[in-house]
Amino acid sequence: MDCREFCDQHLAFVDDTLAGIELVRMQRHIAECESCAKHDAKIRRALLLFRNLPPITPSADFSHRLETRLKECHREQLVHTQRNLRFGAFAAVLASVIMLGYIGTTLYDHAGPPGDVVMAPVVATIPDSDPEFTPITTSAPAIVASVSAGLTIWPSALFAEQVPVRFAHSKLELANYTR
Amino acid sequence: MADIVRKHVVSVEGQTVRERLQAMDDSAVVTAFLGGEERAFSELVTRYQTRLLNFVYRTIGDREKAEDLVQEVFIRVYRHLHRFDRSKKFSTWVYTIASNLAKNELRNRSRNPLVLFQTVQKNFQDEDRPLQFEDTTSRPDDMYRKRHLREIVEESVAKLPEHHRNVFVLRELEGKSYEEIAEITQCNLGTVKSRLNRARNSFAEIIAPYVD
Repeated sequence: MDCREFCDQHLAFVDDTLAGIELVRMQRHIAECESCAKHDAKIRRALLLFRNLPPITPSADFSHRLETRLKECHREQLVHTQRNLRFGAFAAVLASVIMLGYIGTTLYDHAGPPGDVVMAPVVATIPDSDPEFTPITTSAPAIVASVSAGLTIWPSALFAEQVPVRFAHSKLELANYTR
Repeated sequence: MADIVRKHVVSVEGQTVRERLQAMDDSAVVTAFLGGEERAFSELVTRYQTRLLNFVYRTIGDREKAEDLVQEVFIRVYRHLHRFDRSKKFSTWVYTIASNLAKNELRNRSRNPLVLFQTVQKNFQDEDRPLQFEDTTSRPDDMYRKRHLREIVEESVAKLPEHHRNVFVLRELEGKSYEEIAEITQCNLGTVKSRLNRARNSFAEIIAPYVD
């Protein structure tokens, strides 16, 4: 064992956590190396001094002060718990009132006889007949393709844009057929 | 007469509970406290107050402040004991709280030198008080030597860097294992060993001229 290895292992050596064979090697090194023996003695002596420092004890009023603070703390916790409980109860009551109101309103609505369904007024106009007007009897290929393919956005928009025209056309066509 | 008997029964019951608590390990005492036994907390205080006080005092070097910090430790334990993971050691948890508070105190001091100055001044004035731990039957020169040595040791510990001192005190004074120290200081095992080794070497170097 060299001095470097001794220093590396010294922590475990002092704490007595080395395995048996390592311990013997360290002891043998101390017996051979004066410098490491001095280092070991220096550390052990310093530790002995520190470990033997007289312990300090809490002052006489330590317990009394702590007890007072703990009582305060206990009171604070109680107040906090009560506040939480109060808030919880208030929230529960509020939620109950809202729920009861909602249920009451719903029941009141369903209790009366069903009223007539009022539809929005519809105004339909037939454009003046135009001699040069040629109705489109089939949908534009793009629209047909889009509808069958199920594409939604643009084709739907285009389709919706042309719907009134198409309805008008079909109306006119229908009129022509009946004549 | 009935009152006297009732008082006697209560005191006997109280004594029994206290004795039972004393016989329990920390984990059982904590369980008792969480189960509503308020006296269990007093038992925890009794067990840890002196140990924590010594640990904090050796870390920060100011006795009064150390007492305040230990009180703060117990207040925090009281408030948060229901959150304590009972699969772990109670002592490790308590020392972690104390260690963090001591670290904060040292950090605050380094930010505010006035506090440090006041502490030093206060300790200086405290020199006039008689020491509690001296054997009054000793000869005056022995007493002086012991007192002087104690001061030197305390000064030498104070000279260690904070993170070294923390590990050093936990190991040498509190006898904590490396694993416990790692948990308390939130470092890995290698760091703990390295810091402890350096702290021991530095402490021995600092104190050597005084004891040789």
